[in-house]
Amino acid sequence: MTLHLSIMLWIPLALGVAGLLLPAKLAPKLALGGTLLVLGYAITYVVDFQSSAGALQYVTDETWIAELGISYALGLDGLNLFLVLLTAILWFACTLWSTFWTPEHAADNPRLYYFHLGLAQTSVLGALLAQDLALFVVFFDLMLVPFFFLTGIWGGARRVQATMKLVIYTLVGSLLMLTAAVATGVLAAEGTDKVSFAFSDLAERSLGSSTQNWLFLAFAAAFLVKMPAFPFHGWMPDGYKAMPLPVLALFSGVLSKVAAYGFLRISLPFFPDASEHFQTLMLLIALASILYGSVMAFTTTHVRLILGYSSIAQLGFIVLGIFALNAQGAQGAILQAFNHGLVVAPAFFVVALLSARAGGSEDIRDMGGIATRAPVLTTLFLVVTFATLAMPGSSNFVGEFLILLGVFETKMTIAIIASSGVVLAAAYALRLFIRSVHNRTGPRVEASEMSMRDGLVLVPLVLAIIAIALYPQFALQRSEPTVTSLSAPPPAAQAEAVVPPGFEIERAP
Amino acid sequence: MTSVELFAWLTLGFPLAGMLAVALGARKLPGRSPAYVATGAMALSFASAVATLISLQGLGEEHRQVRAVAWDYAKTAGVDAQLSLLVDPLSVFMILVVAGVSTLIHVYSIAYLDSDRGYTRFFAYLNFFVFSMLLLVLAGNFVMLIVGWAFVGAASYMLISFWYRRTTATNAGIKAFIINVVGDVGLVLGTYFIFRHTGSLDFLATFEGIKEDFASNDPDLVAGCILLLVGAFAKSAQVPLHTWLPDAMEGPTPVSALIHAATMVTAGVYLIARMHPLFELAPTAADVGAVIGCLTLLIAGTIAIAATDLKRVIAYSTMSQIGYMIMAVSAGAYAAGLFHLMTHAFFKALLFMAAGSIIAAMAGQQSLDKMGGFKKAMPFTYGCMVIGGLALAGIPPFSGFFSKDEILLLIGDRGGWYWGLYVAGYAGAFLTGVYTFRMIFRAFWGAPVPEALELEEGHIHHPEVHANPATGEVEDTDVGFPGPEHHIAERETSMKVAMGTLAFLTIVGGLLQIPKVTHVIDRFLEPSFHESALFEREPSGGLIGFGLIIGTVVGLAGIGLAYVIWVKNPGMSERIRERSRGLHTFLVNTWYFDELIDFTVVRPAQWLGSFAQQTFERVFVNGLLVGGATGIVRAGSSAVRAAQTGFLRYYAALLVAGMAGVIFYFLLAS
Repeated sequence: MTLHLSIMLWIPLALGVAGLLLPAKLAPKLALGGTLLVLGYAITYVVDFQSSAGALQYVTDETWIAELGISYALGLDGLNLFLVLLTAILWFACTLWSTFWTPEHAADNPRLYYFHLGLAQTSVLGALLAQDLALFVVFFDLMLVPFFFLTGIWGGARRVQATMKLVIYTLVGSLLMLTAAVATGVLAAEGTDKVSFAFSDLAERSLGSSTQNWLFLAFAAAFLVKMPAFPFHGWMPDGYKAMPLPVLALFSGVLSKVAAYGFLRISLPFFPDASEHFQTLMLLIALASILYGSVMAFTTTHVRLILGYSSIAQLGFIVLGIFALNAQGAQGAILQAFNHGLVVAPAFFVVALLSARAGGSEDIRDMGGIATRAPVLTTLFLVVTFATLAMPGSSNFVGEFLILLGVFETKMTIAIIASSGVVLAAAYALRLFIRSVHNRTGPRVEASEMSMRDGLVLVPLVLAIIAIALYPQFALQRSEPTVTSLSAPPPAAQAEAVVPPGFEIERAP
Repeated sequence: MTSVELFAWLTLGFPLAGMLAVALGARKLPGRSPAYVATGAMALSFASAVATLISLQGLGEEHRQVRAVAWDYAKTAGVDAQLSLLVDPLSVFMILVVAGVSTLIHVYSIAYLDSDRGYTRFFAYLNFFVFSMLLLVLAGNFVMLIVGWAFVGAASYMLISFWYRRTTATNAGIKAFIINVVGDVGLVLGTYFIFRHTGSLDFLATFEGIKEDFASNDPDLVAGCILLLVGAFAKSAQVPLHTWLPDAMEGPTPVSALIHAATMVTAGVYLIARMHPLFELAPTAADVGAVIGCLTLLIAGTIAIAATDLKRVIAYSTMSQIGYMIMAVSAGAYAAGLFHLMTHAFFKALLFMAAGSIIAAMAGQQSLDKMGGFKKAMPFTYGCMVIGGLALAGIPPFSGFFSKDEILLLIGDRGGWYWGLYVAGYAGAFLTGVYTFRMIFRAFWGAPVPEALELEEGHIHHPEVHANPATGEVEDTDVGFPGPEHHIAERETSMKVAMGTLAFLTIVGGLLQIPKVTHVIDRFLEPSFHESALFEREPSGGLIGFGLIIGTVVGLAGIGLAYVIWVKNPGMSERIRERSRGLHTFLVNTWYFDELIDFTVVRPAQWLGSFAQQTFERVFVNGLLVGGATGIVRAGSSAVRAAQTGFLRYYAALLVAGMAGVIFYFLLAS
């Protein structure tokens, strides 16, 4: 059976366009149907995926612009498989959520809203599936467009400033990346007969180390802003406060992971010397993100920002794993990217429910005491909280365990300092939980249990968290062969190692 | 699947199933039925534990270490974590104690928690706790151990914060959870240090090759073991990570009996015993454990003498007793430490249950200052308290006597500086006698308080307005606070059954292991410690007789002193307090450990947070890094403004931090 990735890729956009043309009340249904189809496809891919193979599967490879060496190449492997699944799950959940989510501007033009959601999903899937650098850049930059409109039109207070800030920040990164991408294709082609942006060609060509260095930094800037990582997160507080919550859940759950994925897909394989060269710098940025994000999450009282800063910290862990530059770190990073998306989206959903019960306030000082009247919501929130703080037994813990182990093997000091982030995470996550559902009832709080409709969004996500917690191997075994072949081993190790370099556990004498 | 594996999985499975049944059926289960479901699950779990024991004993001694694997959990990139259990005499010993005592505490809670509006939730939590604890002791590799370890911490958090409308309870809960996470991190890092050399996370595989992987006192092994100890100290409330335990008394009393006396806090003792092949190769780390255990037993003993909250007195005594166990297993007296773990579980659960009964009679009031003269009103509770107290004080023939003295015998027998620990152990035993009977005399002797007189006439005191005894804050009676009705052992069969059984076990439990006479525990545990040189040691004959006599004398002397101060000469305690005011303040403030942690950890973190929040984020990130001219202009003007308004010192701080960062970078890069 051939499963065409292109079908899955273009369904959301196609149905979004259809929604624009058909009567307004059909738009949400079409969008929901589209995300459900994508989810079905994604699950099929995950089940059908050959775990033992490291190479790309379901490859589509067509020449697109022959003169420039750009091809329309898509494929799935261990790196993007679970991010595609995550995208499918969260888009379905958040689209469903959008159908009954009622902010001030919700009535404005639902057709356009769902069109942008569809466009956003297509661009995210495109960036994840692309096997050509130019294609990747196109989709990566395209992601910004729908989110620009979604925030600018349907956002909360101060949305205009927030949008401007977001755009300026990401545009700077994107332009750097565009330049670097062009340079990569052209410079790598030196000594060969023709320019090509296809990943498969780039992997065989090599760049000089000083060239690699500046290309690496340009890509890193774009990725770090998108995540965001400290200190590139200036747009985050305003952006997070302004975005409509379902959109924010997608942004925080998926888009940040696309950036992390970029490091694994592009930076490590194509700039191996630079990755090695900047390893310590990247690890320190990650470490700073972990500590800074955690401390900020611990002191702010705005619920969205608690989650926002906690995301900075979590993304810090993912970057840490990627730049451990070994298999354990990379495996942990991929798993953690999936886990974090799966946890942060329901967390934003719970935040919406909590805020609705606190008279619309998003400040934890106005919340509290709803556990009595909303035991089911509280229980589900507790599971999400424990997963957020990466309690052992959750899949998040397995991710962090592998990440820290990977870093421990290369830079022990950094791993030990980073582990304090685990304690801080417990502090901020539990603080959010206790302040928002326990203690005395807040002044404006009207407690009530969540509805069946809310349950339709929240319960499947929580069940998914529990399922992956019981069997993280399900994800790990699918990504392992790709990660092992991805290897960006240090040149020294390359000389010594026999089997997949740099990836076996060294036993000390 | 062999029968050993099957029964081990069942032991673990029943509490989990019980929790799910209670939680999912919460709305459909009427009256006391959630408690029956949960208690039934526990009884089945205990029965399975017994069946595990029988089928394990059916195997030859050399085959009594069974690994039961369910599926691959995280088996990738050199990591070999499976969902696996290790069933051996040590873990079977632990599941018997845990499941057995837990079942009794469930029975007790059926009545004790009745009328609490969180009744169903309570039993779901309680089942979840037992599941976690069983997972912890049955874990077959480091990852599963850490999972059980953290689940236990989470369950403890939920139960401490059970009355979540009380700010005191939620604060105590978060404190316990965070200190426990510190312990988890210790375990994780310790695991890394060991895994680095062994290349396996499985216990049996690790222990098998340990002598080839490590030289004696290898720095990595010592570091790993000390980090494991951090985990053990956090869970077992050893200094300086003990401050959560006294606060944990905010939870319902059965919780204190179950988690903060009989089971969870003994996890550290189990951990060291489980890891004994590592600790024997890292004597330095083992010595650290022994010394900290010894310090804890003394410090906690002194605090218990000054504490006035009934449950906190028992909590400090728990800390102190666990100090003995930690000292024992660190010094190689494994069987003795585990024996004390078992007897302590019996008598300490009994003491907490009795305390719960009297607290119920006081309508939730826990202060010893307000109690007195309950002897006549509560004879059954009094009897149980005295039996538990005598065992705790180490008076023969009660169980605590045999187990505590065996620990000290074996430690004294090692000679050298261990004599210091030996002497300190007896000093601690003296303190134990004093504080235990101070508590009993103050609560049960003397003139009866109004609540006691009311009870003698047949009424249990119920206040009109419910207030948190700790803060005086009026309770939110909606839910999430102790129920309006209170239940005492004299009136409730289920409480009587649980306490009676424990009292019986407290009296006879010591007979399992009497020096030179019976060796049940030693023999049973032998296969788990077959490669240990320290396990085989026998105390020399002379020390045995001497130790048994001195143990009795010291315990009786402590009780006698308590009698003199709190019964014979009323007012003497005030006079002593007056004369040594400084010392008293020091002890009442529990050696200022809370303040120390607050000053060194909590405040700097908060200061950093508010600095980041108010200055760094606003000026640096938003000011300097927002792209475009406006950002630069704004940053420039804000810098000028900041300089004028005294923000200069923050910039100075920033500069220093930046330089430190650069230096740090080069250090790491080099």
